[in-house]
Amino acid sequence: MSTREENGREPQRGAVGDGAPPEGWEAPRERWLSTVVRPAFGPRSVLLEVATRLLIPTILVFSVFLLVSGHDQPGGGFAGGLVASLAYVLRYVAGGRRELAAGMPMRPEALLALGLLVACATAVAPLLFGASVLEAASVTVTLPVFGKVKFASFLLFETGVFLIVVGLVLSVVSALGARMEAEEEEVRIVRARTTRFGRMRGGPR
Amino acid sequence: MNLMIAVPFVVPLLGAALALLLRRSPRAQRVSSAVTLAVVVAGATLLLDTTAGGAVAVTQAGGWDAPLGITLVVDPLSALLLLVSSVVLLLVLLYAVGQDISGLSRAMPQVFHPIYLVLTAGVCLSFMAGDLFNLFVGFEIMLTASYALITQALTRERVRASMIYTVVSLTSSILFLTGIALVYALTGTVNLADVAEKLGGAPPELRAVLALLFLVVFGIKAAIVPMHFWLPDSYPVAITRISAIFAALLTKVAVYAIIRTQTLLFAGDDISSVMLWIAIATMVVGILGALVQDDINRIMSFVLVSHIGFMIFGLALNTVAGIAGVLYYLVHHIVVQATMFLVNGLVRQYVGHTSLRSIRGLTAVSPVLALFFFLPALSLAGMPPMSGFVAKVALFEAGAQAGGWLVWTALVAGVLTSLLTLMAIFRVWVRAFWGTPLPDMLEARAELRRGPDVAGRRVMAVTTGAMVGAGIAVTVGAGPLLEIAFTAAEDLLDGDAYIEAVMEGAT
Repeated sequence: MSTREENGREPQRGAVGDGAPPEGWEAPRERWLSTVVRPAFGPRSVLLEVATRLLIPTILVFSVFLLVSGHDQPGGGFAGGLVASLAYVLRYVAGGRRELAAGMPMRPEALLALGLLVACATAVAPLLFGASVLEAASVTVTLPVFGKVKFASFLLFETGVFLIVVGLVLSVVSALGARMEAEEEEVRIVRARTTRFGRMRGGPR
Repeated sequence: MNLMIAVPFVVPLLGAALALLLRRSPRAQRVSSAVTLAVVVAGATLLLDTTAGGAVAVTQAGGWDAPLGITLVVDPLSALLLLVSSVVLLLVLLYAVGQDISGLSRAMPQVFHPIYLVLTAGVCLSFMAGDLFNLFVGFEIMLTASYALITQALTRERVRASMIYTVVSLTSSILFLTGIALVYALTGTVNLADVAEKLGGAPPELRAVLALLFLVVFGIKAAIVPMHFWLPDSYPVAITRISAIFAALLTKVAVYAIIRTQTLLFAGDDISSVMLWIAIATMVVGILGALVQDDINRIMSFVLVSHIGFMIFGLALNTVAGIAGVLYYLVHHIVVQATMFLVNGLVRQYVGHTSLRSIRGLTAVSPVLALFFFLPALSLAGMPPMSGFVAKVALFEAGAQAGGWLVWTALVAGVLTSLLTLMAIFRVWVRAFWGTPLPDMLEARAELRRGPDVAGRRVMAVTTGAMVGAGIAVTVGAGPLLEIAFTAAEDLLDGDAYIEAVMEGAT
């Protein structure tokens, strides 16, 4: 029960199961993997939580590195997207579905849509210049700190792929993991209520 | 030209993204999906217009030339199938929208629309792919979308059916990938035109093995006997719109792939006797299955299996007339098979199921519905003057020209199958449409007429009517369609036009 009170939110029952996403998309963003909130499942692992807090920024930066370097080196949008989504999966493993929801920049469907739009738009864009689909252009500029940097138009396409992969993994995790977890929690709450108050407060629906 | 070829693949993907963004507003989602598919239809029409004379349109995506880049090719065959498929996809989408408005379906539109458009992209890419690997990618896009679609409005039965469907499809995909790897090992390329040129030097035994491997891969997807068992188990269980589109398109994409690979890559190889045996088995086993079923959807699924046999028969002849017959048969069958499943969806309104055991007197309940069933059913059975008759005559004529005892055996099997199809259809007609209606069916009709969902049901009826009309259009337009089919068949058997168009500018 403590989970509910300390989170300051009533779980919205009925939202589960009829196609709605797991609750808590607007959970507070300031403190994450807070030690105050107990995860809904099992005992917590301090080691995992601390490691996750340290690792996530590094993983995300690495994923961006993979994305940017992908045009002529190993990496690219797909690999980068997988690595980035692993950061969120790690946070989910450490903190449960509320942490996952709190950590998402936007809903996975929207991420998917945005990625698809960006990728398709960059695939078609060359047609406007009389080139063929997916044709890439690149410019090399010299920047003050970085030195020579190559900008390829393909980076935009790769960004689209990146977003699609992140969106897909997040929607899989929130549909398969978080949804099940929410349902389990629901059952537990109902069971706790019936054992405490018996039939007076209404049994399981 | 570049733009035109990109349309059938890129536009549905853009539409899918839009449908995802608009998931909160069902009305906007419906409009955007319908407009997307209408654009695809328009694009396919223009493509057919440019290629109908036998031209081959090619674009090299990414600007890399043929053996290296991603080649998209549209020849008359691809353009014809693109047009027919996109029209059917559009009409089925409208039917689904009607169903959603009327509240008769438990499918989630916000999930259905994006995935349906992704399926469209996959189907179109498969028709246009100029290399084996892109063909694989097109298949996978289509199949991945279909895994999600078959589990819409989940029930225990659908989970079971989708397990079978997924496992079988994955098996064929693994074999497909193996085949691609073998071709690459042999020739060092996956570009269809390039492979066609380089396979010429390979030992004939190896070529025959590869030809058979690809026949098995696509045969599983096309549900040819003995790889057909999964289809009647999975298609009828899905919701109406899904079984309609699966029955109409997915098997036909596989038939297209068989035609493409057997004519282009393995033109000189003779596996036609194997294919004739397969054709005979598919026709006979499929239709015998249909005769013992008690559910209209399952009957239609077995009829679908059996009629794939006709296409394999025409292809095995390896003559211009035979392949032209197959192409016309493909067009006819895509339209008619989709119509049959949509009509079954309308039947389901009155009785909630499609089992022959407790349907009587549908003619009295709804004369229009009876007409909608009767016309495509006659066409399916190959009665003159419907398109099925034209298609079968074209095939049988080609068979008679080719001659040989095996071909004649297949011909006899084909005629027998046609008669048995007629029998299966009339079994449905007599049991479900004749007689006095059951009281609860009349009640259901009265309730449906009173219900607030009349607008949606009207949309469903009108789109089904449009599909019936499309079937009649295939009949009326048999002349020009067969002309295109003959042009396409000549191109296919010649192969040089395709190879030249793709390899132009290659080093």
